[in-house]
Formats: sequence, C-alpha cells, structure tokens
Amino acid sequence: MAGGGTSKESWGELLAAAQRGDGVAYRRFLIAVTPFLRARARRRIHADDAVEDVVQETLLTVHRIRHSYEPGRPVEPWLAAIVARRSIDALRKSSRTGAREVHDPLAYETFAAPATNSIEAGESAKELARLMGGLPPRQREALILTKLNELSLGEASARSEQSVASLKVNVHRAIKRLRLEIGRDLLK
Amino acid sequence: MTVRQTDALIDALSAAASPVKRLAPPLTRALAALAGLALIGLCAVLLLPNADPLAMRGAGGETQAGLELAAALLAGVLAVVAAFHVAIPGRSRNWLAVPLPALALWLGLSGLGCWRDLVRNGPAGWTLGHSMDCFAFIIAASLVLGLPLAWRLSRAAPIDPLPVAVLGGLGIAALSAVLLQFFHPFAVTFIDLAVHLVAVGIVILLASLLRRPMLRPA
Repeated sequence: MAGGGTSKESWGELLAAAQRGDGVAYRRFLIAVTPFLRARARRRIHADDAVEDVVQETLLTVHRIRHSYEPGRPVEPWLAAIVARRSIDALRKSSRTGAREVHDPLAYETFAAPATNSIEAGESAKELARLMGGLPPRQREALILTKLNELSLGEASARSEQSVASLKVNVHRAIKRLRLEIGRDLLK
Repeated sequence: MTVRQTDALIDALSAAASPVKRLAPPLTRALAALAGLALIGLCAVLLLPNADPLAMRGAGGETQAGLELAAALLAGVLAVVAAFHVAIPGRSRNWLAVPLPALALWLGLSGLGCWRDLVRNGPAGWTLGHSMDCFAFIIAASLVLGLPLAWRLSRAAPIDPLPVAVLGGLGIAALSAVLLQFFHPFAVTFIDLAVHLVAVGIVILLASLLRRPMLRPA
C-alpha cells in the first residue's frame, strides 16, 4: 500500500486535510496509522483476529470523530486514546460472551468424524436457513455477503448499496436476532 | 476479521471522506456553553418571583454567603471546562482533578456556615421544611441547565462518556446551587447542606446513568 513511509510528524497535516474533505490525504493517513493502531491494540489483546477487529473499530471511530482532532496538536495521544477505549470495549465484550457461554453435554454424544454428524448438520442447515428467512431483508443481505460469501466490508458495501457502517450494524443485529431465535428454539 | 478487510475498510472510509465541521478548542466551547448557561440563569433571576440575591441571609452572613457563592461558582465553572476537555480523546486525565479544590472549598465554607448557624441559633431550624424546596430547585435547575450542556458536549461524541457525564453533572449541580443562592430564604443549616449534597449527588448519578442517550458516545 502507498503511504507506508509517512512520518508521524505529518499525520496531523494529513488528518487536517482529511477534515477538509481530502480523500487522498485521508487514505494516506489511515494507511499510515494502521500499524500504530495494531501495535497499540496488541498491548491489551493477543488474538490476531481480535486485534484486527479492534483496529477496524478504531478506524470507524476515527472516521466518526475526526472532527474532534485539533490541528497543530499531536495526533498520537488522540489515536492512542481511541484505540485504548476500543480495546477495553473488546475485552469487556469477550468477557461478557464468555460468561454467557454454557457447557453443552449433548456435544459429547456426537462423533469426531464429520460424516457421522451429516444428518444433524443437514437439519441444522435447514433450521438456520428458516431462521435467516425470518430476518429483515437488509440484515439478511448483510449477513450473507459478509459472513457466508466472506466479502470484505468494502466489497459488500459496493454490492449491497449499504454503507460500511450500516452493514456492520445490520450484521450485528442479524446475529443478535438469530442468537435469540436459536435460544428460543433450544428452550422449547 | 482479516488484514484484507482492514484494507477494504480504509478504502471505503477514504472514499466516504467529506468535509467536517471541526470542533473549536475545548476551552472556547466551554466558555461559550457557560455564557449560554449564565444567560439562562440571568433570565431565571429576572423573571422568577422571590429572587433576592443574598439579602435574606442572616445579619453579618453576607460575606460568608458571598464566599460560598464564589466557591460553588468556581467549582461549577471548572467542572464544565474540565468536561469539555475530557470529552476529547487524548486530553490529560488531570482535568478530572481540576474542580476538586474548588469543590472542597465550597463544601468547607458551607460546613463552616452551618457551624456558625448552629452556634448562633442552636439546633432550632433543623427541620426539613424549606430544605425540600431547595432539593427540588437544584434538581429542576440542573435539568434545565443540563440539557443544553449535554447537547454541547455531545458534539464531541466522547469515546469514554462516564468522566464527561460526572464532570458535567457536577458542574451543573454546582451552578444550580449558585442559582439557588438567589432564591434562598434563610441561612444554611446542616440539614440544608445535607439536602444540597444529596441533590448534587443525585444530579451526578442521573448524568452518569443517562450518559449514553445524552452524550451519544462514538
């Protein structure tokens, strides 16, 4: 990627230009700061996937509050505070998820070879398809493009005409809804 | 999530680059907000009945009341200024401590006033009578002053809204207590002080609980 050699001193100028709507400067800024964000995220988080999640959340936050940067002041503390906050959010989220996960004794009744579980897998797939059919169209579309087709957010955004931000929101809502529905089915 | 997706996100974000209205420096924004709050307070003093600045204090208590007023005003102003600073990512966390000396001075002077009142008048007047009016005044004034302040603070979409809400709540409660001095019909007793402190605490608690809808954090 271009712009990798951008010095930290010029980050402020690039961000100030981005505030004026300069897309090229903004791209150079985001590319230049991403390794810094990654390194900062790694201070608190160790899994590579989770680090990349934090980096992406930080980039989205930078985009949303780029108007709060005051030109002339160092950018590093501004970025460091944002990535620290997103890292803490990710840690809290993962600890909440961990607390919600429960031991499933039925899991021990299946066999290691995938073929032995093919009937259950087929039923699960049908059930999942039925549940996905109940999602609102934009949530279903966001989930299929980003999770089943494994498109990047940018590609999914171009194909769906949904913004990156709304794709993320719709995926989040879809998963939340599916989780709720699956939970209800298990309780029946 | 993968690095490839991060690159795609950067492409999408830079493609969505548009000019943004830059925030003014926090001190400038804080002073503008305080000027707005002062205007609301002035309107209240001029328009509401029973406004009688400091005159109804006990004889010889005007200096004490003036000092308390100044300390509460200083605590309120510094808390609001600090709230605007901590709303911006990367600003010093020392701002959290900035209003504390003025707050301690305010509480100390109020306590001293209560002690003098106790020595002069004895335990008479240790009732809840008017104190509940003061309680309701601080809560109501905090709501009226707090909404425009929260709106101004929310422009920064603070990433960590709790300290912003606490400082903003403290600032608003202290400024409401200042406004109360213009309507206060009697010298402060320990019961008054306790009720004032409970009201200030409730305002800070409310501000903290409502921080997400009010400050719309990023």
